[in-house]
Amino acid sequence: MTTQTKPVERGFGGWVGFLVDSLVAIPGAYAHAFRRRPVRTVVLTVLVIFGLIYPVLNKEFFQPYNRLSNAFPLPFPEDAVVTFMMIFAIMAIGLNIVAGFAGLLDLGYVAFYAFGAYTAAFLASPHFGSVSIVLFSETIPGFPGIHLPFWMLVPIAMAVAAAFGALLGAPTLRLRGDYLAIVTLGFGEIVPVIFKNLASVTFDLGPIHLVNANLTGGNLGINPIDPPIFFGIRFGSSSGIAAVYLGMILLAGAIIIARNLERSRMGRAWMAIREDEIAAEMMGVNPVRTKLLAFALGASFAGVAGVFQASYQGLTTSDFFTFATSILVLIMIILGGIGNIWGVIVGAITLVFVDKTFLPYLGQRMAAINSDLPNPSQFNFLIFGVLLVIMMRFRPEGFIPSRQRAAELRHAPPGQAIGSAATMGDAAVAAENLADTIAASQEEEVLAEAAAVEEETAAADGTSETPPRGPEGQP
Amino acid sequence: MDQVIQTIIIGLSNGLIFALVALGYTLVYGIIELINFAHGDLFMLGSFIAFVLISLVFHINADTGLPMMIGVILVVIAITMLATATINASIERVAYRPLRNAPKLAPLISAIGMSFVLQNIALLIFGPANKSVDAILPPVNVLSSFGISTITISSEQVFVAIVTIPLLVGLTWFVSKTRQGKAMRATAQDPDTAGLMGVDVNRTIAITFLIGGALAGAAGVVQILYNNTTVWNLGFRFGLNSFTSAVLGGIGNLQGAVLGAMILGLINAFSDRYIAANWTNAIVFGVLIAILVFKPTGLLGQQLADRA
Amino acid sequence: MTGPAGVAGDLRTGRLADDQVLVRARQVTKRFGGLIAVNSVDFDIPRGSIVSLIGPNGAGKTTFFNMITGAYTPTAGEIVFDGHPLVTQSGKKIRSKKPFEVTALGIGRTFQNIRLFGTMSALDNVRVGLHVHLKSHWWDAVLRSPSMRAEEQQSIVRGMELLDLVGLTDRADVWARNLPYGDQRRLEIARALATNPKLLLLDEPTAGMNSSETAEMTSFIRSLRSSLGLTVLLIEHDMRVVMGISERVTVLDYGEVIAEGTPEEVRASPRVVEAYLGRGAADT
Repeated sequence: MTTQTKPVERGFGGWVGFLVDSLVAIPGAYAHAFRRRPVRTVVLTVLVIFGLIYPVLNKEFFQPYNRLSNAFPLPFPEDAVVTFMMIFAIMAIGLNIVAGFAGLLDLGYVAFYAFGAYTAAFLASPHFGSVSIVLFSETIPGFPGIHLPFWMLVPIAMAVAAAFGALLGAPTLRLRGDYLAIVTLGFGEIVPVIFKNLASVTFDLGPIHLVNANLTGGNLGINPIDPPIFFGIRFGSSSGIAAVYLGMILLAGAIIIARNLERSRMGRAWMAIREDEIAAEMMGVNPVRTKLLAFALGASFAGVAGVFQASYQGLTTSDFFTFATSILVLIMIILGGIGNIWGVIVGAITLVFVDKTFLPYLGQRMAAINSDLPNPSQFNFLIFGVLLVIMMRFRPEGFIPSRQRAAELRHAPPGQAIGSAATMGDAAVAAENLADTIAASQEEEVLAEAAAVEEETAAADGTSETPPRGPEGQP
Repeated sequence: MDQVIQTIIIGLSNGLIFALVALGYTLVYGIIELINFAHGDLFMLGSFIAFVLISLVFHINADTGLPMMIGVILVVIAITMLATATINASIERVAYRPLRNAPKLAPLISAIGMSFVLQNIALLIFGPANKSVDAILPPVNVLSSFGISTITISSEQVFVAIVTIPLLVGLTWFVSKTRQGKAMRATAQDPDTAGLMGVDVNRTIAITFLIGGALAGAAGVVQILYNNTTVWNLGFRFGLNSFTSAVLGGIGNLQGAVLGAMILGLINAFSDRYIAANWTNAIVFGVLIAILVFKPTGLLGQQLADRA
Repeated sequence: MTGPAGVAGDLRTGRLADDQVLVRARQVTKRFGGLIAVNSVDFDIPRGSIVSLIGPNGAGKTTFFNMITGAYTPTAGEIVFDGHPLVTQSGKKIRSKKPFEVTALGIGRTFQNIRLFGTMSALDNVRVGLHVHLKSHWWDAVLRSPSMRAEEQQSIVRGMELLDLVGLTDRADVWARNLPYGDQRRLEIARALATNPKLLLLDEPTAGMNSSETAEMTSFIRSLRSSLGLTVLLIEHDMRVVMGISERVTVLDYGEVIAEGTPEEVRASPRVVEAYLGRGAADT
C-alpha cells in the first residue's frame, strides 16, 4: 500500500508538477515492475511494441506479400479489422464501467453506439443540406450540411451519449438485476427502431414545419460522412494505417479515463453499490446518483466508439445497431474478464479477430474442401452463444477478470459468506450466530409476509408503501 | 366499426398463441426466477418441427380429407409437444441447473446464449428465408353461415381457439388440482422448505420445463397453421410479446399471463393496423418498460411465487 | 455508568430540554398492512449517552432502528435528530429522509448480520464510509486534479487512523471477507465511524462473541463515547452488555414500549420479565 508522504501541490503548479512527476516516474515504475514480475513485464512490452508497429508491419509485410501468413496458420487481420478492434475495445471498456464496476447488466448498450454514430452523421455530413455550417473543417465553406471537425465531434458525441445514458438509465434505478437487464434491452431495441423510422417525418408545431423530412436516413442511413481529418491527413477507411493509429489514441484515452475512474471515490462507490447497495446507501453513498453516473459515463465511451466508427466508415445506418451487437460487447467483457480493463480489451481484440478474420478465413478453407459446408462466419452467433453458455458454466468471471469479480463469482454471494463464524471454525460461536440469524430472519419473515399483505391491501386501495427493496429483503 | 371488430378478432387469435408461450415464461420465472430468453426460440423450433412434419413427412395440404387432416394435425401436435418439451428440459439440465447457485444474472446470460444457439440451428438447417406451408385448413368464414359478411372469423382462427383453450384450461387444472402442481407451487414459494418437505425440487423444475416446452410446441403448431409461414427469427417477436404478456399479467400468475396475452394481441393488431407495423415492436417494448418501471407486479399481482 | 449529569431519572418524555436530546421520536408507528410492527413509540436519546433498546425477538427493535436511519418510512409519528426533522408530513403524505441523507446528517450504523463489502480491503471499506464527506466529483477523478489527489491521500490517512482506533492497522489490505469474525465486527464500526457520526447505531455488536470479546467490545464502545463524544444506541440481547454499559434502557414488546429507565429499574420490572420469560416467571 502506498502512502505518499509528499504533500500535494494545488493549482496550476500542481498540474504541471503532476504531469512532470508522472513522466519522470515512468522509467522508475517500469524498472520496478520489471524487478517484481520480469516475465510479465517483458511480455507486455513486446506485445505493446508489436501492437504499435503492427499496422506498419501489416502494410509492408503481411498483406502485400503474404509472406508470413502462408506459413502462419492464421491470417493477419487487415487494417479495417484492427480499427474495429480499437472501436470495440473502447466500447468494452465503457460497458465494463456499467456492468463490471457498477454491476448493472446493460443489454442495450448498442443504443449509445448509435447515438455516437448519428452524431457524426448529423454534424459532419451533407445530410442537413438546407443549411451550411462549416467550422474548422477541411470542407469548403458553403458546402451543404453541417461540417464540424472530428476533434469537436468527440466531446459532443460523449455528451450526447452520456445524456441519453442517464436518461435511459433513470427508469431502471429501482429495478433489480434481471428486470434492469430487460428494460435496458428494451431501450437498446427502441432506439435503433426510432432512427430507422424517422425517414419521413411530417411534423407541424409552432416554428417547426417538417414535411416528409428525412431526419435519419431510415433504412438507407446517412452517407457520406466526413472522415476525420488532421493536418490534411484523412483518417477514414481509405487511409489504412492512419485510422488504426487514431483508434489507438482514442483507446489510450479511454484506458486512462477508465483507470482514473476506477481508482477514485466514484470507483469505490460503484464497487460498494455492486457488492451491497443497501449497506452502501447506509454509508452515505447516493445510489441514484452513483448508478446514473455509471450509465452516463459508460455510455459516453460507446459514443466515442460510434462517432469514430461512423467517421471512419463514412456512413451509418440503423442496421448496424442490433441486439446482437450489444451482446457481442457483453461477450467481450465476459470472455475477456469482467471488471478488469485489460481483460476486456483482450476480449474485444480476440472477438473481433475471431468474427472478422478467423471465421471468414475458416469459411474459405472449408469452402475449398467442400463448397456445401455452411459458412461459419454466417453462424458466428451460434459459436458465440455456445461460448456464453460454456463461460457461464465454467468460468463466469472470464479469463482475465479483476480479482474482486472473480472472487465474487466463485463464492457465495455477499451477505452469506460474511459474518458466518463457521469460517472461523468455532462451532459454539457458529451456533450462537446461527440462532441470532434465525431470530433475525424470523423477524424479517414476519415483516416480509406483512409487506406482502401490505402490498395487496395497498394495491386494493390505491395507496402504496413498500418496505424498501433489498436483495434479501433486508432493510 | 367492422374494421375495429375485425382487428379485435385478429388480436384475440394472436393473443391465444401468445398466451401459450407466455405460460412457459411465467411458469419458469415463477419457479426459478429466471427469464428464459430462449423460450421464444423454442416456440420457433416447434413451428419448424411442425412445418417439417406437415409438409415433408405427412404431406397434407388443402386437398386432404377432413378426418385424415384432423388425425394428422393431432399427431403433429403430439409429436411437436413431445419434441419441444424434451428440448426444453434438456436445455434446463445443461444450461440452467448447473447455475442454480450462481449469482442471479448468470442463468440469464446463459439463456441469452441459448437463444442465439437455437436461432442459429434453425438458420443452419432451414436457411434464412421464410418457410411456408400451403393453407391447409378449409378457407371457410365461420361467420358467413350466420349471415354476417362484413366480419370474418376464419377457420384458422377457430382452430387456434380449439387448440389453445383446452390447453390453458388443462394447465390451470394441473397446477391447482394435482399433486405435481402443488409441488410446483410449493417449490415456487420456497424451494428449500419444499425440499425439506419431501418435494424433489430438481424433478419438479424439470417437469415445469417439460410443460412449458410442450405448450410452446403446441403454440408452434398452431402458429404455422394459422400464419402459414415460419422463419428463424420468429421467436424474437413472439418471445417479446409473450414475455410482455406474462409481465403485464403479473409474472408467476397463470391467469395473468393469459389476460396479458389477450391484451397484447390486441395491442399488436391495433398497432399493425392503425399505426404501422414497423413501429409495433417498439411499442410493445415501450409497454414492457412501462410495466416494469411503474407496476412490476403486473395487473393480477404475483400468485405462483409470493417472493417480493 | 451514570451519564451526563442531570439526565438520570429525568428522561420521561418531554421533561428534557430540546438541546440535551439528540434524537426525539414521538408517536412513531410502523404498520405493514394489517401488522403493526411499531406502535406509537416515544423515545428520546440524550446527547452523549449510551442507550440500549431491548426486547424479545420480533418486538420491532430493528424496525425502529430502520426508521431512524431512513430505510423505512414511519406510518405515523415524527423523528427529530439534532434539530433536523427526519420525517416530514404534508397532508396525508409522510416522507422520510433517504438513508444517505440521514448518514450525511450524522448517523452511522452497523448491521446485525455483518454487511461489509467483502471483496474490498479493510481500508477501502472504511474509505467508502468517508464517501459522504469527500468532495471530489467524477471529473476531478477523470482529470486526476490536484485537489482530488490530495483528497485521496487524506482519505487514506484518515482511513488508517480509524483502523488504528479499532486495532486493525496491520490488516488494512486484507479483504473484508477474509477477516476473522471479531475483526469484521470492528471493521464495521470503523466504517460507521468514518461517516463522522454524532449518533452511532449498533445492531447487536456483540453477537457471536464470547465473554472476553464481549467485555472488550463493551469497554471499546464506552471509550468511543468518551473520546469521540458520540451518542450510542444499541440493540442488544446480551444482558451483561445491557446492564454493564447502558445508562438508559428501553424495552419493546410487540412494538410497544413496556418499560423504560435505568438498567436496574428495567430488570426489576415485572412486565419485562413476563415479556421475556412468560407469565409464570414474573411471579417467581
